[in-house]
Amino acid sequence: MSAFQNSIGRGYVVSSTYLSIAIVLVIFIVLFISSYDAFSTVGWKIFTLEWNPSKDKFGVLSMIYGTLSVTFIALLIAMPLGVLTAIFISEILPEKFRLYFKSAIELLAGIPSIIYGLIGIAFFSGWVSSLFELATGRTILTAGILLSIMVLPTIITLSEDALHNIPKKYREVSKGLGLYPFETITKTLLPIAKNDIIGAILLALGRALGETMAVMLLIGSIDRIPDPFYNFLAPGQTITSKLGREIGESAFGSLHFSALNAIGFLLLLIVITLTIITQFYFKKEDRL
Amino acid sequence: MDRKLKNSIFKMLIWAAACVAIGILVFLITVLFYKGFQSISVDFLISESKNFGSEGGVFYQIIGSVLLTLCAAIISFPLSLGFAIYKSEYVKNKYLQNFTDTIIYSLNGIPSIIFGIFGLILFVNFFNTGVSWFVGGIILAIMILPTVILSSYQSINSIPNSYRENALSLGLTKWQVIKTVIFPRAISGGFTGLLLGLARAIGETAPIMFIATAFSGVTFPNGLFEPVSSLPTHILSLAQQATNPDALENAWGSSLVLILLVFSFSISAFVRRLQYSKLKY
Repeated sequence: MSAFQNSIGRGYVVSSTYLSIAIVLVIFIVLFISSYDAFSTVGWKIFTLEWNPSKDKFGVLSMIYGTLSVTFIALLIAMPLGVLTAIFISEILPEKFRLYFKSAIELLAGIPSIIYGLIGIAFFSGWVSSLFELATGRTILTAGILLSIMVLPTIITLSEDALHNIPKKYREVSKGLGLYPFETITKTLLPIAKNDIIGAILLALGRALGETMAVMLLIGSIDRIPDPFYNFLAPGQTITSKLGREIGESAFGSLHFSALNAIGFLLLLIVITLTIITQFYFKKEDRL
Repeated sequence: MDRKLKNSIFKMLIWAAACVAIGILVFLITVLFYKGFQSISVDFLISESKNFGSEGGVFYQIIGSVLLTLCAAIISFPLSLGFAIYKSEYVKNKYLQNFTDTIIYSLNGIPSIIFGIFGLILFVNFFNTGVSWFVGGIILAIMILPTVILSSYQSINSIPNSYRENALSLGLTKWQVIKTVIFPRAISGGFTGLLLGLARAIGETAPIMFIATAFSGVTFPNGLFEPVSSLPTHILSLAQQATNPDALENAWGSSLVLILLVFSFSISAFVRRLQYSKLKY
């Protein structure tokens, strides 16, 4: 009886493991197969500017530009803000408040992205349009700012963990040598925690690249690279917002659908590569 | 520049950053709760939505969201437990360990909209299920697998080896050891992970908006392959008519309901984690 149970049990754990592994592979295969049409028909012309399904033109450059610029703005704001706040929590805030503060930030990380989108529409787009006197507040900059708020908790919690894990003796020795707190932090603590902080930023980068709902509501959804290209006060389009807006309208099996899958597949490859690099080359963080 | 001045500038920068971060936190929480409680009432919770959501309540949206998350929980929990036990008790090969790690982390890194597209191609079109809440539940289950697996794996991994050796020396078979020593911890760790996963799943819009939900006129589903409406997609459709003040007001109300559901999952996960972090072997 127990030998029988033994093999049943083994069968259960083995099959659930292989099923999970198969799911991941199937996701890749399905996306690749359905984007194959676009890769073979459109080929390298996919890296052009014009996207017009009725003329069979599928250029994705403006979406890649949109994704990169939104992510750039988000990290430009969230990186210094997040790391400095992490230093505040770990080095200045008294220990007894630390847990409350971190739990509040983790709750912030749990707010669904659609709600960030709603807040963005209700407040941020109005602020941006009145501040810069624009006709519409749905711009690359607005989406970037909102995205920076969304990735901030990731950077804060992970960098704070990294700083907090450094043993106390480093701070004491540094203080004993007569260094100011500023010098202790920049010359001793940050170099030690550097790898983990880079890991946190890469994780945030992956999230920012794949974020859909908030960006889709706020970026304005126009396939265009603004002129000049650093004019972030113009509407744009990211890969994810394009997918969110158009995949429901495209017919299954058409070249249009396949082209949308192709940019989804590109995004998937980029984000997966980043995630794997983060997990294996920097210290493994078991938090998700 | 002398060191003292640098030090005080740096200190000011840190305080400024912290104030901005706290400001954002306070702003978000106040807006959500203030606006939300203004537009929420018992009636809002128990009546169905009318006029594309700008009037009426969110009763069927709540039902839909709960159905989707329940379905996700029921599918992903046993799968993750099996995976976690296999990974910690059976896999001895280092390369296989790394491979399973890669699989979990890749799954965790996949952007949520990609899950939606995957479900649209494979289930809705290829298997021809149509827009269905059951498919939405499957996709959400896949999405939260890594969270549940890792949480349950960590708590199994914290069981000292001597426990396993003692059980084996009493003549138990491998599966009996797993059943009596490993399983209870796996379930309790996995449950914490499940709560965290559900907190994420219930708020997701992108994976379910093409495959599981219809925007209006949906009541209780009659079968597995019928659409439901859910809170996040309801907020999406209301946010797209944000120029209408009634729609916006209902959007804040739905957001508050959603936030409270999310927080109830994540806070109970925090509490469980706090309790079990005191557990020592």
